[in-house]
Amino acid sequence: MRVVIAEDSVLLREGLTRLLTDRGHEVVAGVGDAEALVATITGLHREGKLPDVVVVDVRMPPTHTDEGVRAAVRLRKVHPDLGVLVLSQYVEERYATELLAGSSRGVGYLLKDRVADVREFTDAVVRVARGGTALDPEVVAQLLGRSRRQDVLAALTPREREVLGLMAEGRTNSAIARQLVVSDGAVEKHVSNIFMKLGLAPSDGDHRRVLAVLTYLNS
Amino acid sequence: MTIYDRSPHAAPHAPGTGARGHGHAHGPGFAPDRRHRLPAALRAPVEGRHWRELAYVLLSLPVAVTLFTYAVTMVSLGAGLLVTFLGIPVLAAALAGCRGFGVLERVRARALLGCEVADPEPVRPRTGNGPLAWTGAVLRSGASWRALLYALAQFPWAVFSFCVAVTFWATGWSLLTYPLWFWAFPVWGGQGGIQLYGDEQHAFYLDGPFEIAVTALVGLLVTLATPWVVRALTTVDRLLVHGLLGPSRLSARVSELESDRGVVVDTAAADLRRIERDLHDGAQARLVNLAMGLGLAKEKLAEDPQAAARMVEEAHGEVKTALQELRDLARGIHPAVLTDRGLDAALSSVASRCTVPVRVDVDLPERPAPAIEGIAYFTVSELLQNVSKHSRARSASVEVWRSEDRLMLQVTDDGVGGAEMSAGSGLRGLAERLDAVDGVLVVDSPPGGPTRVTAELPWRR
Repeated sequence: MRVVIAEDSVLLREGLTRLLTDRGHEVVAGVGDAEALVATITGLHREGKLPDVVVVDVRMPPTHTDEGVRAAVRLRKVHPDLGVLVLSQYVEERYATELLAGSSRGVGYLLKDRVADVREFTDAVVRVARGGTALDPEVVAQLLGRSRRQDVLAALTPREREVLGLMAEGRTNSAIARQLVVSDGAVEKHVSNIFMKLGLAPSDGDHRRVLAVLTYLNS
Repeated sequence: MTIYDRSPHAAPHAPGTGARGHGHAHGPGFAPDRRHRLPAALRAPVEGRHWRELAYVLLSLPVAVTLFTYAVTMVSLGAGLLVTFLGIPVLAAALAGCRGFGVLERVRARALLGCEVADPEPVRPRTGNGPLAWTGAVLRSGASWRALLYALAQFPWAVFSFCVAVTFWATGWSLLTYPLWFWAFPVWGGQGGIQLYGDEQHAFYLDGPFEIAVTALVGLLVTLATPWVVRALTTVDRLLVHGLLGPSRLSARVSELESDRGVVVDTAAADLRRIERDLHDGAQARLVNLAMGLGLAKEKLAEDPQAAARMVEEAHGEVKTALQELRDLARGIHPAVLTDRGLDAALSSVASRCTVPVRVDVDLPERPAPAIEGIAYFTVSELLQNVSKHSRARSASVEVWRSEDRLMLQVTDDGVGGAEMSAGSGLRGLAERLDAVDGVLVVDSPPGGPTRVTAELPWRR
């Protein structure tokens, strides 16, 4: 997996590089702000060496507000094949909606803290690089909490709610099965139950499934 | 701002209840149960309020004469003595006396007119406490001179309003009761009734039944008009007391700002204490524990790798909890999404953390000043916390909109109601914070619900 990292804290950038290299990925470049990120990606694209995924911090110089998100949205528009994983000190459902808007390929939005769980974090990087989704559990909780379809959501069993949450995070059926320590078949059954109760057409492909669920929660 | 009055007695404001009817807090015992059978216009002449106002006008005359005499005498004396060194202290004493009368006048206005006027700025000598410093301070104080002006201006007005009020009152009642005493004219007066017109040849007396009835009717009209006349007269008195005996607008604003500044400083200090405590009890304690755990693990590494691994595992959990706590703390200080995306996004985020489903509706054409945005944000989050904790509501809604140069926000829930702005409550604290930026908080929470809290903030500052 070829990765570009954009993170203004040198300490964290080195840490991420070490972590990803340790797991056998190649960190092509590390930059400190959004401008440099866009320039680097453009350069790599010209050479025909577009990376599989970029890991972007939300707050970077010069304004330290949300340039990471804006750069990510821009990059996704220009390079639809590029996976973008946004890391942030806080996760807000609003940014997730902006990131997910109008694209069908790899995107991730995670709390920075999640790097502490090395396995899960690298899994998320790989998932995004392959075109999947990685949404932070907190974003999903916010989406579930503020959805206007509370009555329908209340009709789900606790286990189904759990599966719905993991599905919205972007996990595959087998990953959900591993997490909940149940069989793949059991997860499939839950998923089809959920889709039936929400009145959604079952969709193939994990990313499209996520989009369907999120659209449902946001409507 | 809309205040919904639920009391059955809400409809037209009678003269007796009118001016004080716009309370901001609705509590139990607010709505009077007594229903008047008479319409307001007929009730006015016999109501307590009218009698108090009349008493005020009648009392004004002797008070004004005394005050005017005192002021003119003392000021002339002081002015005459100005060539000697005695003039200045006499003048100061004259002004101090006027201020003293002012105190009495404020009490009289409060008791009889229900007119609440704050004390003016006190006499504050700039240096020292001696009689010289005090004299200077009295003479420099604007409030003293305004009290003197009151003594002079009130006199002609008191004479005028006394005459008008007595005339109206006496005429009204005597004509109204004319059917009861017109018999006195033929018995003792040697004429048939009141003489309305007369010259050498003709005279017209009010002595027939129709004329008596018309006279009584005229009396009734005058009697009914009297309360309004007296009210109009006392309105000028209210203005006089307000304008000349109260604190000047500037000094009122200064003292308001002083107390606002006190609230802001207190709040800031309390916030800092809270942050310090949270850091100390939370993240810091966890990091110490973590360092300890890792230190132990380092020592165990060689002799008992399994135990060391367990300790590292624990430390890992600990550090994640510390991160979570730090994040929550930072969000409590200032949420990043508020700066980046404004109230809509930030309030949606708060709403999603609330234990009940919250509908958020932000309708703003542009973003207000950051400080105002911050206060609006914290107001809503505190109100939603109240909803979570106390209301037992099933749903809530947040609305934010702009009304001219005000930012309005309203949090409504369908809970049990009964929220009060009593001393020491969270709502009172919130109201004080809003007050510090010239904002207002209105709580409408009848027992049994629903609760509606409305806040108003200046759009820019």
